[in-house]
Amino acid sequence: MTSSAFAIEMKLNECGPAQKGHHPHEVVIAIAPAFGKEMNKTIVKVEHAAVLREVIAGIEEQGGAVRINRSLRTADLAFMAHEAAKLSGSGIGIGIQSRGTTVIHQRDLDPLSNLELFPQSPLITLETYRAIGRNAAAYALGGSPNPVPVVNDQMARPKYQAVAAILYLKECESIVPEARPVEVMAEFKIVG
Amino acid sequence: MRRSKRFEILEQRPVNKDGFVTEWPEMGFVAMRSPNDPKPSIAVENGRVIELDGKKRGDFDMIDQFIADYTIDAKVAERVMAIDSLEIARKLVDIHVSRDEIIALTRGITPAKVLEVLNHLNVVEMMMALQKMRARKTPSNQCHVTNVRDNPVLMAADAAEAGLRGFDEEETTVGVVRYAPFNALALLIGSQTARGGILTQDALEEATELRLAMLGLTSYAETISIYGTEQVFVDGDDTPWSKSFLASAYASRGAKMRFTSGTGSEVQMAGAEGKSMLYLEIRCIMMAKGSGVQGLQNGSISCIGVPAAVPSGIRAILAENLATTLFDMEVASGNDQTFSHSEIRRSAKLLLQMLPGTDFIFSGYSAVPNSDNMFAGSNMDAGDLDDYLILQRDMMVDGGLRPVEEEHVLEVRYQAAKAMQAVFDELGFPEITDEEVEAATYANSSEDMPQRNVVEDLKAAERILREGITGLDIALVLAKCGYRTVAERIFAMLKQRVAGDYLHTSAIIDKDNVVVSAVNDMNDYRGPGTGYRMSAERWEEIKTIRQAISPSEFG
Repeated sequence: MTSSAFAIEMKLNECGPAQKGHHPHEVVIAIAPAFGKEMNKTIVKVEHAAVLREVIAGIEEQGGAVRINRSLRTADLAFMAHEAAKLSGSGIGIGIQSRGTTVIHQRDLDPLSNLELFPQSPLITLETYRAIGRNAAAYALGGSPNPVPVVNDQMARPKYQAVAAILYLKECESIVPEARPVEVMAEFKIVG
Repeated sequence: MRRSKRFEILEQRPVNKDGFVTEWPEMGFVAMRSPNDPKPSIAVENGRVIELDGKKRGDFDMIDQFIADYTIDAKVAERVMAIDSLEIARKLVDIHVSRDEIIALTRGITPAKVLEVLNHLNVVEMMMALQKMRARKTPSNQCHVTNVRDNPVLMAADAAEAGLRGFDEEETTVGVVRYAPFNALALLIGSQTARGGILTQDALEEATELRLAMLGLTSYAETISIYGTEQVFVDGDDTPWSKSFLASAYASRGAKMRFTSGTGSEVQMAGAEGKSMLYLEIRCIMMAKGSGVQGLQNGSISCIGVPAAVPSGIRAILAENLATTLFDMEVASGNDQTFSHSEIRRSAKLLLQMLPGTDFIFSGYSAVPNSDNMFAGSNMDAGDLDDYLILQRDMMVDGGLRPVEEEHVLEVRYQAAKAMQAVFDELGFPEITDEEVEAATYANSSEDMPQRNVVEDLKAAERILREGITGLDIALVLAKCGYRTVAERIFAMLKQRVAGDYLHTSAIIDKDNVVVSAVNDMNDYRGPGTGYRMSAERWEEIKTIRQAISPSEFG
């Protein structure tokens, strides 16, 4: 985990139903129902503000455009991200759950298939989030980047599985049945 | 606060790296007893269950309906439900009550009643009951054979060693999905190099797995998952009926299969409906029974971190294993996932299944180092093999494994790798070099193997499915290349699927190709002197570990 000497403040403004994009190089980031709202930190206590900022920075430094949607009717990572991919002008979407689990998705794939999956949320660092953004943008630009290396630790389950379940349950409390995703504008401010 | 030195040391202990949480019943974060669990009840009208655990038929969800129509015998239900739960619990541990009598009772019991019965038992009583209720008299064991690179040569050698060490079932899975046919092939050749009769499995997405079984490259399956709430089923696009249909597909092709379920999964998927983990799991067990499958893999499996984090969670896992046997099904009792950093805690958990014995104590002992285990690690791995053998010896308990000589292990690993080399050569697959055969013979893990050309291997692996290369083709190739014994053993396995005897409950196949199941090796435990007792020959085997010194060696 990168430690920062400064803090990032994030303001997420929800502004109406999510639209289908037409920018050919855009990546739509689907954030989960409670992300940056009822919940503010990942499973290893990384601020959502820092996570989202790194993903956006990764997309932008690769030359991609970014839109953010909030998923409301589901917190299931695959379905969130697939929905975002379908709304993305490039067909590429990213899904991020509040606990930090992340996936890069493409609209033509089956929901339970994907481009790159980062299933072990406790092991994802801010550098990895940035690399995920970069790779998603690379796909949006028509490239086929090397997958971001995935870290595996068989002892993550004993340490984190129960906590992961609790966080998912909390996330699911913010679900709005049948509700379509909403467009989100994110503002970041560096403080301290 | 100034810190206590003792507390500081305790905090460094491995057990404190595990996750623990307090109960949260509204969300199902409770092991065996939730205030929201239904109370047992039944009502039968015109031979049909019209009320189940406080719910009228009109309010049944699909799981209630399935259990009411296919699992519960309406003819005996009202009689059984009238018996006090404590009395049933006492019958479970009473050596004068036979296994058959218990099975007759569970034909008419409801999920909430099973829960009530199990809640009367402490872990020792559950172990006593499990010893009696296990379907097959002789306990057995299953292992995982995988590696992070899906290296087929190493996989065959590891499968051969696992066979020699006594595992009756071997399961693999993939790192990269397209490798799947190679993994099935490696397990088939490796296992049958060790001895005939070992059952093998390639755990994959359901359709691919079924296809490999139909080609005769694998002989059993256990990846058909069922869940205890309707919502989790719906999220997975499945029903108890669709799962039953898939089970029939396996059976019709002569492949053994069992369902998979386990405590914690509904919590993990946020669909627990505030019920206890064990109550939801009992519904899964009763669905497995109703769908007619011969057995169930449970013991929490991949969600074990959830029950292991709450009070009485490890007891709940033993309870679910016991519940499976109460319904006269084979139980592959878990222990196949890492759940604790603590060596004390993981041994203690294992003993609950190892001491009474189950049909398969592990549904996947990691026969390779956990770093190579693509099921994300097992409670015990290749590095724990000697500890396990010594536990068997210490307690005179048959855990299904046998001590082996290093020389024999090297020989069988070499033979398996050579057989793979010959098959690859004959089928025009990418070459397996002598250097790779040598490396696989002596390797501990995939780090000891030379790199292979992954792209070329994947193309060849895809040929197996595209061209429909069958187990029979492999047997013919092996016979042609001079590996006649392995060829005959593979052929014998293909004959088994025509006979279908190993579709019986708890079937394993011995080295002489004889099926040993709950039909011809029925558990008849009735207290001391009955049930499974180790033969003199088996005890001789278990007690003779290579590390033991003979007193006669001293002057």
